Amino acid sequence: MKVEKRLSGSGAKMRGPAPAPGRTSAIKNMFHKDGTWAFLLLLPNIIGFLAFTLIPVIASFFLSFTSWDMLSPMKWVGLSNYVELLNDETFIKVFWNTIYFAGISVPAGIVVSLFLAVALDQNIRFKKFYRAAYFLPVVSSMVAVAVVWQFIYNPEYGLLNYFLSFIGITGPNWLTSTVWAMPAVILTTIWKNLGFNMLIFLAGLQGISDSYYEAADIDGARWHHKFLLITVPLLSPTTFFVTVMSFIGSFQVFDTVFLMTQGGPARSTSVIVHYLYENAFKYFNMGYASAMAYILFFMVFVITLIQFWRQKKWGVN
Amino acid sequence: MKKFRMLFIVLLCLLVTAACSSGGTNGNTANSGNNSGNASGDVVTLKFMGWEASPLETEAVKKGLEKFMQQNPDIKVDYQPVPGAQYAQKLLTMLAGNAAPDVFFLGATEYRSFQNRGVLLDLTTMFESQMSLDEFIPSSAQIMEINGKIYGVSSCTVSPVLYYNKDVFDKANIPYPPSDPANAWTWDEFREAAKQLTVTEGDKIAQYGAFGFENFYMTTAEIFSNGGQLFNEDGTQMKINSPQAQEVLQSILDLRVVDGTSPTAKTLESIGMRANQMLQTGKVAMVVDGSWALQELATMGFPVGVAALPKFEDAKTHGQAHVHSASANTKHPEEAWKLLQFLSSEEYQIGLISEGLWMPNRKSLYTEEGIQKWYNESVHPEGFRELVSFFENAEPYPFTLITQNKVNDIITEETDKLWYSGQSVADTLANIESRSNVELAK
Repeated sequence: MKVEKRLSGSGAKMRGPAPAPGRTSAIKNMFHKDGTWAFLLLLPNIIGFLAFTLIPVIASFFLSFTSWDMLSPMKWVGLSNYVELLNDETFIKVFWNTIYFAGISVPAGIVVSLFLAVALDQNIRFKKFYRAAYFLPVVSSMVAVAVVWQFIYNPEYGLLNYFLSFIGITGPNWLTSTVWAMPAVILTTIWKNLGFNMLIFLAGLQGISDSYYEAADIDGARWHHKFLLITVPLLSPTTFFVTVMSFIGSFQVFDTVFLMTQGGPARSTSVIVHYLYENAFKYFNMGYASAMAYILFFMVFVITLIQFWRQKKWGVN
Repeated sequence: MKKFRMLFIVLLCLLVTAACSSGGTNGNTANSGNNSGNASGDVVTLKFMGWEASPLETEAVKKGLEKFMQQNPDIKVDYQPVPGAQYAQKLLTMLAGNAAPDVFFLGATEYRSFQNRGVLLDLTTMFESQMSLDEFIPSSAQIMEINGKIYGVSSCTVSPVLYYNKDVFDKANIPYPPSDPANAWTWDEFREAAKQLTVTEGDKIAQYGAFGFENFYMTTAEIFSNGGQLFNEDGTQMKINSPQAQEVLQSILDLRVVDGTSPTAKTLESIGMRANQMLQTGKVAMVVDGSWALQELATMGFPVGVAALPKFEDAKTHGQAHVHSASANTKHPEEAWKLLQFLSSEEYQIGLISEGLWMPNRKSLYTEEGIQKWYNESVHPEGFRELVSFFENAEPYPFTLITQNKVNDIITEETDKLWYSGQSVADTLANIESRSNVELAK
């Protein structure tokens, strides 16, 4: 405030005794309204959001009722894209693949990262190092991760089958097996995202007051009592957030699949977004691909609604 | 507080003006190029887009364009290489946004589907005034011609061939596979050699006999060799479900699952080994791969041999390569044609051919005299001269003659089931045929 006063004072001096009062104050007012400022500063982002998110989202909704290859004129086809999708064997297959992928990777990923977070919340040596180590895959490039894991899954030279051979198991040919390719992709995804979920859980754990644990200690509670009766319930807002984000992320999975298996073998790892990509950019069926995008949107929407409803039931705020 | 606000505003303004001004200058240069070309006929700027298949190819394209600009001082070519994987998408988006390059590479398998959408300049009149389809080898000519018209000029040709490591053969004391297609190994001879060249150490296989046929690009050549077909004459229906194709798929599968002479694709590929490294390291004695691989193989410091593919009935391969096309909306069709003509000229092709990356698409380069122009002893192995008829008489690659590229993915999906999860050959071919016909009927 002091600075402002001095500035305006010196300004008045410079301009002389009779400044144009109306105009200055209008400009002044504009700059004083925080709303205008906020809007101005957000403008680049808003333009980006409109141009690259909102408008395409609306446009693709209309596209989903058309047949369009980007070059020929658009044809209005009503609901026929959606009808065709429901009868498209490949779509049904990739739909179930997506459910399979999300259904395993989300719960497994959450359980593992929760245990990891609890473990790294204890007073152990080098815990900062471990936290960093588990977080490293999150910031690594997916391309690099895919290359390394392809090596790990190699049937003859790979680490995984090498370790399995110690316990007398002959590992499968992971990425070329229609049965094992999906679990392999899921495992890689869990490993890649572990650190992110762990970090959020760690933040949640710091928010739980030590006094609960102290009280439990006095009452003679064992560690699993403390975990199940204090940690888990008090973490539920965090768990809720992680679950919603993981589900959305796993329904939209693309890069892992595209880089590791290209959806193969025999489409056993092809997911909705992968098939959508193929339809849009390989077969040039923009309308069909848009319809798929809206089905995916609807799936994510329903899952999120269910979670919000459950959240109310759990009494989480 | 206010100082900071001012700072922000100033920064914001700077950013905005910087963005605008750079956009503006770009627009201006583009405009001035076009204007001067139209008004005074001084210099026309052609935008030319291609992909980066290999550093050598990009280098050769740039060198070629310099030569072209020297010969045509009134044309300036602005070359834009794009990563190969996103090429078709990028081109499509540019065409849809009316920002297409004047001249561009186009994959032979995309040529017909782009032409279908009316975005390619009809070159027929210009082509016929200076060239003739008869100059081209049959596979290239057939790919270029769509209902009697020409919308793209073939760049070269490439075909699957059999590569082998001579050291491995010498060690096993087995004669090399013949280069001359007339003496090509029969499938049984090939299978026998692959067995002899497979070496086990303990319970692991240290050296495989052969690799590559499970890739459908290669499989296709063997189906032709057995007298089979993929599609009917006009490409409207799939005709793959035949005893000939069945025999081929079964024979290829047997190499791996019965004889154990061939590794699965992922075994070597997922440890970062490409076909040429498999050969170089002696992990595999014989590899089927595209003829373009010779360029790299020739520099890898081991004695590489090239032979005709093993035959069922006749020794056969297929050929294709990208075409050069112009946009239907180009403002400079004549200049674009001059560039297209240059890109298809002997003078431009020969450099890439003698490096081993391309094979010629002109009949004139397959005569004794013609071969002399590009044959390069340091690249083309002994016996290569006998192999050239293999390329000259190649069948057109069938996927260049259809417009539904979904068929390719259906084949990959169904053959995956055959190679990796025990679907029978009969079911595989029946599924491919029935599912593809649904797509082809669309």
